[in-house]
Formats: sequence, C-alpha cells, structure tokens
Amino acid sequence: MLSWLIRRVLMLVPVFLAVSVVIFSILHFIPGDPIDNLLKPGSSPTARAEMEVRYGLDRPLPVQYGIWLSKVAQGDLGTAIVARRPVVDLIAQALPHSLRLGGFALLFSTVVGVGLGVIAALNRDRWIDRAIMGGVLAGSTMPSFWLGLILMLVFSVQLGWFPVSGARGWQSLVLPVLTIGLGGTALVARITRVSMIEASARDFVMLLHAKGLSPLRIQLRHVLRHALIPVVTILALRIGWILGGAVTVEVVFARPGLGTLLIKSLSQHDYPVVQACLLMLAMAVMLGTLLGDILQAAMDPRVRAALA
Amino acid sequence: MTHFFRKTLLSASVSLAALIAAQAASAQEAVFVMATNEVGAPTYNPIKATMLNTATGLIFDRLVSQAADLSYHPWLAESWEEAPDGMSWTFHLKQGVTFHNGEPFNAEAVKAWLELFKAAEGENAYMAEAIASVEVVDDHTVKFVMSRPEPNLLYNLSATFMGVVEPKSFAALGDDFGVTEAYGTGPFKLESFTIGQETVLVRNDDYTWGPAVAANHGPAKVERLTFREIPEDSTAFLELKTGGVDFLLSVPADLTAEVQKEANLAILTMPGQDVWYMPINVTKAPFDDIRVREAAAKAINQEEILASVFGGVGAVADTFLISALPESHVSDGAKIHYDPDRSNALLDEAGWAMGPDGVRMKDGQPLKVTLWTQSDSIFRRLTEVVQAQLKAVGIEAEITTFDSSMIRDQYKTGEQQLAVRSYNWDNADIVDWFFGGDRLGYPNVSMFNDPKAEELRAAAMTGSKNMDERVANFTAYHEYVLTQFPMAPIYQPVQAYAYNKDRIALPEKIDASAFGASAFLDLEVKQ
Repeated sequence: MLSWLIRRVLMLVPVFLAVSVVIFSILHFIPGDPIDNLLKPGSSPTARAEMEVRYGLDRPLPVQYGIWLSKVAQGDLGTAIVARRPVVDLIAQALPHSLRLGGFALLFSTVVGVGLGVIAALNRDRWIDRAIMGGVLAGSTMPSFWLGLILMLVFSVQLGWFPVSGARGWQSLVLPVLTIGLGGTALVARITRVSMIEASARDFVMLLHAKGLSPLRIQLRHVLRHALIPVVTILALRIGWILGGAVTVEVVFARPGLGTLLIKSLSQHDYPVVQACLLMLAMAVMLGTLLGDILQAAMDPRVRAALA
Repeated sequence: MTHFFRKTLLSASVSLAALIAAQAASAQEAVFVMATNEVGAPTYNPIKATMLNTATGLIFDRLVSQAADLSYHPWLAESWEEAPDGMSWTFHLKQGVTFHNGEPFNAEAVKAWLELFKAAEGENAYMAEAIASVEVVDDHTVKFVMSRPEPNLLYNLSATFMGVVEPKSFAALGDDFGVTEAYGTGPFKLESFTIGQETVLVRNDDYTWGPAVAANHGPAKVERLTFREIPEDSTAFLELKTGGVDFLLSVPADLTAEVQKEANLAILTMPGQDVWYMPINVTKAPFDDIRVREAAAKAINQEEILASVFGGVGAVADTFLISALPESHVSDGAKIHYDPDRSNALLDEAGWAMGPDGVRMKDGQPLKVTLWTQSDSIFRRLTEVVQAQLKAVGIEAEITTFDSSMIRDQYKTGEQQLAVRSYNWDNADIVDWFFGGDRLGYPNVSMFNDPKAEELRAAAMTGSKNMDERVANFTAYHEYVLTQFPMAPIYQPVQAYAYNKDRIALPEKIDASAFGASAFLDLEVKQ
C-alpha cells in the first residue's frame, strides 16, 4: 500500500511539469503585453525597454520558463507586474476566501446531494424520484453566473434576506455557496441514486433481507456504505472543479478570491499572477484526484487487496 | 403548519431586511462603489502606481486644483508665479497644513516629495521630468528650476499621480506605503485597504485647507467612507437598489434607464473625458487616398448615433479632443461633421462608382473594408450603427470583433482599415499619443506619419514657453491632423454616477473635472 502511495505521488511530478509548461506557454502565445497596460501617454520607448528588463520579459522563452520553474519550486511565485507585490502575498490573501467558499459548497453538495440521492433511490420510479431527478437535472444544466443572478434577484432584491454581494459575515456566503453547490448537488444525487440501486441488486443485500433485517436499515447501513465509494471519489475530484467554478461566481458576487484575482490579472496581462492562480487551480485538481484515489483505496477492500 | 411556516419566513425576512437597512443607514457614513475601470487598483502609492482610484485623491492633496472649465486654482499652493522665460516657477504654500501622521507640510516636504518622485524612475516620472531641481526659498515658498519650459506643469501638479505624499514615512515604509499605510494631507485618512475588495477612509478632523474649487474647505461633512470594488455593473446596481451601497462612481449607459426607474435613486452627470472615434488606417488602400478617408469620416452621422445608441445623453464629437479643452477650438472648416453629399461626391471623384447592390465599385473591385471593434456590448452596438452609416454612402464594412484585452496587440499588426475606439484623457497631448509617427500600430492605430504633422507636434510638445503658446501650438497641430482625416470623431459621453437620494445630499454645484476631493468635501449624508 505504501509503495503504491509513493508511486502514485511520484506520478504527479510529470503531470505537474506538463501542466506548468502548458500554463507558462499558453500565456506567452496569446496576444497581449502586460507592459502596454503600465505605460501611459507620454512614456518613452526607453521606459518600455527598462520595464521589460525589470520583469525579465526580454529573455528567450525557455530561459524565462526555467527561471520561473526553479523559483516556483522554492515557493517564490514572483512579483506581480501591476500590483508590484509578491504574488505569494496576493495568493495568500485570496486563497482562504476561495477555500471557504469551495469548502462550504462541497459540504452543501455532499449533504444535500447524498440525501436527495438516497430519497430518490428509496422511492425508485415513484413521483418523488422523478421530481428529485428532474429538479436535479434542471439545477445541473443552469450556468452558475445565471443561477447566481437569479438567486440574487430572489433572495437579496425581492426578499432582502441576504446581501447582494461582498464578503462580510456568513450571510454573504449563503448565495455564492448555493450557486456553486447546486451544480455539484445534481451530480452527487445522481451518482448516489444509481449506485444505491446497483448495490441493492447485489447478492449480499438479498442475504440481509433473508436474515430478516428491516429494509430501511439494510438501505442506510449496508447499501449506502457501498454506494458511497464512487460518490467519495467524485467528490474528491470535484475539489479542483469547485475552486475553478468559483471563478465566475466570485466575480458575480464581488467576493475576493482566486477567481476574482485571476480575472483581474488576466485583463491586466499580469502573467506572474495568472500563472500562479492557474497553478493553484491545477494543483487543486491534481491533489483532489490523488485524494480520491487514496480514499477509494481506503474504503474499498477489493482495491486495498489489489494494492497490497 | 404551512401558515406558521409562511409567517415565520415573512417575519424573518422583514427583520433581516430591517437589520440590513439599519446597517447601511448609520449616521454620517456612506458606502461608495468604485468605478468599474478603477477596480483592482493595487496601491495608494501615487508615485509608483500606474493605476489609481478615486479614494487616492481624498488621501493626497495636490498643490493645484482644476475646475470644471479645466482652469487651475489654489490648493496646497496658495499662489504661484511663472518666470517670463518659463524656466522657473515659484509656489507659495499654505501655512498650518499637516500630514496625517503629524509631520508638517512645508517647503522642505515639497522638495523631499519631488525628489522621491523624480528618483522613483517609474512611468509617472515624466510628469516632473522638466523640473531640474527644487529650491527652498523660505519655510512656505519653493522654487522649481526647470530644465525647459513646461506649460503643462499645472496640469501635471493637479493630477492624482502628483498627490503630495509624506516623504519620511514614504521612505521608511518602502513598498508597504500605500498598501498597509498611506499618509498625505487630504480630507480623509486611510483606515484599511484590501486589494480588489474594500477601502475604508475616515475623516481628517484637522482639515481646513480644501481646494479653492470646493465650497467647504474642511473638515468634510461625512465621517467615514467605505469604497467597495464590484467588478460587475449589474451587481453594483442591485446593491444600490437594495440599499447595500449609497453611490456608484460609474454607471454604464445601458443601466442609466434602470436607475431612473427607481424612485429613490438618481443619476448625476458631469462632463466626460472620453472621446469615441473611428481611426482610419492611412496606409491601407483605399484609405491611402485622402478623398476616401474624408468620405468615410463624413459618412458618420454623429447626431443619429447620439440619439440612437446613447439615448441623447452626452454630446457629439467633431474634433479629436473633448470640447472643454481650449485646443479643441479649431477653425470650423477643420471640424468633421456628417455630410453625405460630400462623401458621395468625393467617392465619385476618386473613381468609386455606385454599384447596383449599393456597394461602390472601382476597376471591378467592390469597396469592401474591415471594421474592427472590441467585444464590450456598447462597442458592438455602436459599430453596427457605424457599419450601416458607411453602407449608406456605398462602403461595405465587415465587422471583426476582438476581445477588449487583446485588441491593442491586433492593432500592432497594422492590418486594420477602420476601427471603433474610445480614449479617456483631458489634455491635448493625447493628439501626440495617438498620432505620433513613432507609435505606429498602437497607440497610433491610424498609422499616421506625416512630416508636417511631426513638425507641428515637436513644437507643441516641447517648443512652447508658456500656456498660451502651448494652446496655440497644440491647436495648430490638432487642426492639421483633423484635415488629414486619420479618424472620424463620433461621440463625447458624460460621466454618469448613480446615488440614493434618500441617503446622499449632493452639493448644488461641483466645480471640478471629476467627482473627487471637492465633491467629497461638500457631500452630506442625510440622517
């Protein structure tokens, strides 16, 4: 198991390198020059050249990549071109907000999604199942920025329950969490339902019924346990996606976070910040995948046995 | 049960709404939303920043203030004299002024500040470039010794970038100045700042040295100002509508009607500093023929655009400069107005005959050109109208839309023929920026490089000894550029602000070029 874990972690290294090359090169191949945004009417061409030297933009791309990567390895994400602060500081300011939002959204989609999935599975093919699955389908197809605006119009403008935007107190967290969480809820509910129905058809369930256990107890104690294995894997995979999904939601709700930072830096062509934000999101996806694998191994005795 | 549930929900919503309203309505405190183009300003360091927001102008006073008619008036400097040859300026400073950290504001402080400004070697350094040295004449008199006459000095000294910082703390704090702490002499002190999120300013109770253009010279009437940064215009509008904020420092044209529908909201307009225009690439056929350029320029019906695209708010543009600038007062013949008869006659003369499908032809080729624009909805709408107006004289323009953040780089290819753009600047040197022969592609989207224009440009930029000469030189340069038709002027918007009139009492008159320190000094919050 331990050697598997070490191999699994080591596998992340080439993935990380590949991702870093993509992040670094995409930004340099799209048109756009950060220096343009810094120069104002009246600036001289020498001022431009000086700035290029200052930010290392005058060197060949592979050299820029090498320097960047070695610094990243030492935890130095560079200096923001527009903000002129260490990128690490900007990320440190933004990340906790995104983690809080993402964490609550994940929690929401887990609790509500599993709950709805169980109810739907227990009432398979009845109206309640159809209603839940129909609602869940509608929820998952709604674009998050649109859902955010609808929630804002209903709960902030009409009912006045929550603030429209910002990041003051728990009230301001409710609508963004709902906006991100509802999409995940749909996925979790569907997977929970399907895997519960699948697990219900297994032989051991028939045995439990034969033993005379109550059907509800069988479902909740035994079937659900089996059914949760794929759900946990999916949830772990969603860690990265939830952080990524927060990008638009943060902008709509004017919340601080990686998304707001990423969008602002993109429009300002602030390469070091954009690179760091993308790297954070990519790492969240990679770590989420790793976590998913580990959890699956820990929960499923068959996987554990195969790895032993 | 259902009844009980409904009742609980209702009472909960009423009490929550009341709580939120009570929070927003606390005494002498107002919440502003930063203009969308100011979102993300990373620092309150006027010397080093390339992007500053409205709050910066409340922390740092300037030596000189500018009125709505762009004339200059005293602020930290009580009066000033310029030497007849333009080689020195003497400023007499106000007495009894202190910085937020208690340090005195005097001639030594001005000298130290300008030395820091020049030493920063940043992109703002050009503003003080013509000042060779600063001499302390006495405690409250400084003399700027110039390396060349700089008639634009007062403009530079009134700019937010030349807000006077407290030199000792500036040197001590390094890069933290403007982020964790910032000290000026302004009517408000920086209490807290979270980049991209929120800035809180508190009143400077000692302040009595407001600019001459404000009715109230201090202290300000409002005790505490919160500036929130909301990148989405629609979110900002909903915040204003629900009472979450009191004032929006920018409102896009498409939201003004929504604001006007609300009984408790109002729009404030001030003269704008933007000009919308259609650059014409003078190097790309058919626009290498000046007759075709003039025809395209005079096909643009500015009045129709003002009415149909901008709802009649703002003014038409008939020169390249905002009409508040004296250099915009060129001869009538140089102004560019809609004249379809002239357009048609010029195109006929240039050999472009009207074809059966309404598109002109020459040597078997149709008069088809490209028209570039950026992705923002207002640009797209305006560009479609421009396209239709060009079509009316037989020019078929095909629209290409680029992402707003990418279009500058596209201009650098020089492949554009026509485009729709806008700029924001309130000084005549913008003509130099967009038509200087050494900036082809971008900013010189028109690829205009004309020997006579370059001569006039040099005279305007560095050959003027005083303000009158500068105005005359820039007017001549501007006028010549207009007669070569490297662009068609379209529209001058107003600056629109939206506010909650139950909460905010605005001064009767705001005598400034933007909603800045003088407006904030005079502004009141209703109890």
